[in-house]
Amino acid sequence: MTASLTTPPAGSLLSRVIGLLIAIALTAVSAGVGVYQSLPTQEVILYSIATFALSAWIWRFYVLQFSAGAAGEQGASELRRAWRRYRGLLLGFLALVGVFVALSLTIDGFFNVWTVISALILLLIIILTMSVGRFMAENRSAFIGLMVLAGLFSVGSMNIEGFASATNIKSMLLFASFLGLASIGQTLVALLGGLDLSIPYVIGAANVGLLYLISLGVPAWLAFCLILLAGGLIGVVNGVLSLRLQGQALIVTLGAGFVVSGATQIVTSIGSAYSGNVFGTVPDWLTNLSSMAGSTFGLPFPPVIAIWGLASLILVIGLRSTVYGRFLYALGVNRTSAERLFISERAYWISAFGLSGLFSAFTGCLLLGWSGGGFIGVGSQYLFMTLAAVVVGGTSLLGGTGGYGFTVIGVLVLQVLTSFLVGIGLKFEWQQFIFGLLILPMVALYARSPHIRTQI
Amino acid sequence: MTAPAAETVAAPAHFAGARTSPHLLMPMTLLFVLLVIAVLRSPVLVTNSGLGSAVIVAAPLILATYALMATVVAGRGTVDLAIGPLISFINVTLIQLVAADVIGSPFVVFLYAVAVGMAYQLVMALIVIFVRVQPIIVSLSGFLALSGINLVILPRPGGVAPDWMASWGAGTSVFSPVMAILVLASLAWLLMTRTAFFTHLRLMGSDERAAYTSGIPITIVRIGAHLISGAFAGLSAICFTALIGSGDPGQGTTYTLLAVTALVLGGASLGGGRASLAGSLIGAVDLYLITYVLSTFSFGGIQSFVTDLCYGAILVASLLLTLTLPVIQRTIGNFSALLYFVVLAIVALGVILFSTYTGDVPSAAATGTAAGFLEIQALRGAAAESGRDSRLWAFVGVLLLTVPLIARTLIVGARRRGLGPIVYIVVTGLALLAVYLATHGYAGGVGHGSARP
Repeated sequence: MTASLTTPPAGSLLSRVIGLLIAIALTAVSAGVGVYQSLPTQEVILYSIATFALSAWIWRFYVLQFSAGAAGEQGASELRRAWRRYRGLLLGFLALVGVFVALSLTIDGFFNVWTVISALILLLIIILTMSVGRFMAENRSAFIGLMVLAGLFSVGSMNIEGFASATNIKSMLLFASFLGLASIGQTLVALLGGLDLSIPYVIGAANVGLLYLISLGVPAWLAFCLILLAGGLIGVVNGVLSLRLQGQALIVTLGAGFVVSGATQIVTSIGSAYSGNVFGTVPDWLTNLSSMAGSTFGLPFPPVIAIWGLASLILVIGLRSTVYGRFLYALGVNRTSAERLFISERAYWISAFGLSGLFSAFTGCLLLGWSGGGFIGVGSQYLFMTLAAVVVGGTSLLGGTGGYGFTVIGVLVLQVLTSFLVGIGLKFEWQQFIFGLLILPMVALYARSPHIRTQI
Repeated sequence: MTAPAAETVAAPAHFAGARTSPHLLMPMTLLFVLLVIAVLRSPVLVTNSGLGSAVIVAAPLILATYALMATVVAGRGTVDLAIGPLISFINVTLIQLVAADVIGSPFVVFLYAVAVGMAYQLVMALIVIFVRVQPIIVSLSGFLALSGINLVILPRPGGVAPDWMASWGAGTSVFSPVMAILVLASLAWLLMTRTAFFTHLRLMGSDERAAYTSGIPITIVRIGAHLISGAFAGLSAICFTALIGSGDPGQGTTYTLLAVTALVLGGASLGGGRASLAGSLIGAVDLYLITYVLSTFSFGGIQSFVTDLCYGAILVASLLLTLTLPVIQRTIGNFSALLYFVVLAIVALGVILFSTYTGDVPSAAATGTAAGFLEIQALRGAAAESGRDSRLWAFVGVLLLTVPLIARTLIVGARRRGLGPIVYIVVTGLALLAVYLATHGYAGGVGHGSARP
């Protein structure tokens, strides 16, 4: 295809003969018209030659080029060519319609005006992402994420009572904040091409550890700071340990996570009759920080949402425009060239893990304020959810592309999806099932790698 | 040891093949250290029933690690996070189908498990190949979907395994059906490594572009790798069903994490192209032994926490120790992992015989799990006392026979690099001896001890 733009296509013998005949016919017509108008003979000859040359050139350059686009399909009909081009879209459309019809036939009361509108919105999203998303090379994942978000939200608010109410939006944002704060570290680490599986264990350990310190009589603010510090230290240790074992960062952080969670439980259960359970009172300010009833400077939403918003803003701008952020990307894209620029891999790797530990501990502390009781398993769902948020957002796990802004979109999509699935009355296991099924097509819309033959 | 160190350093380890792979160094050391501790702590392990139950417990993990290994070799970072949920899925569907009387006979059950595993992996392979999404994302998606559907199929642990499987989980003998599955699966993998397919697979895992340009049908090779993985997953699910004798939808995450850990511990590269059967086997057995050793210590209420702690610490420490591999390579030169294995095996066997077959000690050691390491001293004393025990002499004789043999292979190995056959013979002999002593010796030892007072 690209070659045919520079060199005119040859075409088959038949098409060339047809072109020649048409050119001759046109020349004959023009000559006849010229003679009929009794123009001077020189002009008639000149125009005839020009007509012949022009029509032959047009035929050769344009008409043959179109037919060359479907090389080897000279015999194929128009319908067949259209079918080949739009095969995927048509089949997908038919499949969607089939699913819709099947659902309407099997579930009573499924077929009403709202579900039809919802289906149309979904179709619109798909068509938009296929057509407009094609032109967005850089931020296609963000665009698709936002489209999905908008679609989910509109479908949810049409079908579910109270989906778009202030309370529900507040609760969605609250849970999104927890997931978002926990995903900060995963995003940073993923930008360097690593994975941090210690996040859920650090969250659980911070959750229990904070309550333990408070119950020992340590002032709550001091305990909070100590836990944050400890979280950061754990992250740094993770980074140091996995620096030379980057291929195995997955396992190193997992092992470190086991150590942290085990050690915390040993410490908290020494001298306690209830092994693994810690009891204590959570200070009011911490409860206010992250409970539904909390208020920020008198405004009726919990401060954790504001904190998450602020952190997102700082991270998005910071990754984009600070030296730290740019160098992080540089390292993620190519270690060797980053090293040539005197970017210290060690410093960035360790600091990314340190930040990851810090924010995991922070999330653990906030979750204590939300639940009011320490529980080591509070972070267990974040093991793969942070990964899913990063992936759905569009940050590559191989490093170098993406950013926290993408993760925010990923977090919101996952949260709205959860809320929607809860709203239509699905149980946890079905939610997880649908989650798993939806991640793949969403990622497939923007994160397809090119075929191997184009990478040689 | 005449090979120049520079040559060994220059040639990456995976070119040298599994025989001289230094990646096995750490898991092997860990294996024997743990084995010795386990035997000293609780000699029951090396009895027929002890080994039998060990095989039963470890088999699902080992097979899950094999399943993971097949796809990891294929490259592109294909760490199949969904392996645990897949095993769980086959387990719960099997239990439900058996309960509904749809399937029942052993043949059909095996066929079903393997077919489901292969079918799932085929779909995954097609998605990876044609949708071209990163495999880890595909597997993450599979993980979530399967974990969810498992809970739908079987909301809580329960159900009954087929009747003929009931006796499998007893673990009274080493020679159980589960052991047969394990051995056959291992043999199948070893046979597979002899084929051109496996060479293609490794090449594709190390460098997919090179494989593509040299005309390897990478699509077919990748599908093949996934199918093998699925078959192992099916076998693992059968062993898992035999182990617990029922259905359990909640073991997915555990098995995924354990299998990935075992694989990495065994020296496989998650980047692809390098993984060995021996490594995966040893890695998985290491994990089992860690749990076993930790369970012989009693910490009261905080038992599980200490287990977590030590488990994580051993994991991190053994991975960190792999960083010293280049140093070891440089100093020792042409290092043979197999020879190292033999030496360690002899030492471990010595310790096992030493602690198990000396008069009245076994019964005391078997019951006294809480006594701690001080007990080793007592064992030594008892051993010196009953030095006339014929079995000890037999052991000394074996040792005297094997040491010159190893010395000989060492010398031969220094000149020619292929010392494989001799070492294989020695290992086989030792293994046979160990099995013989384990099956017959312990009972005899107890009898001797009780007859003695």
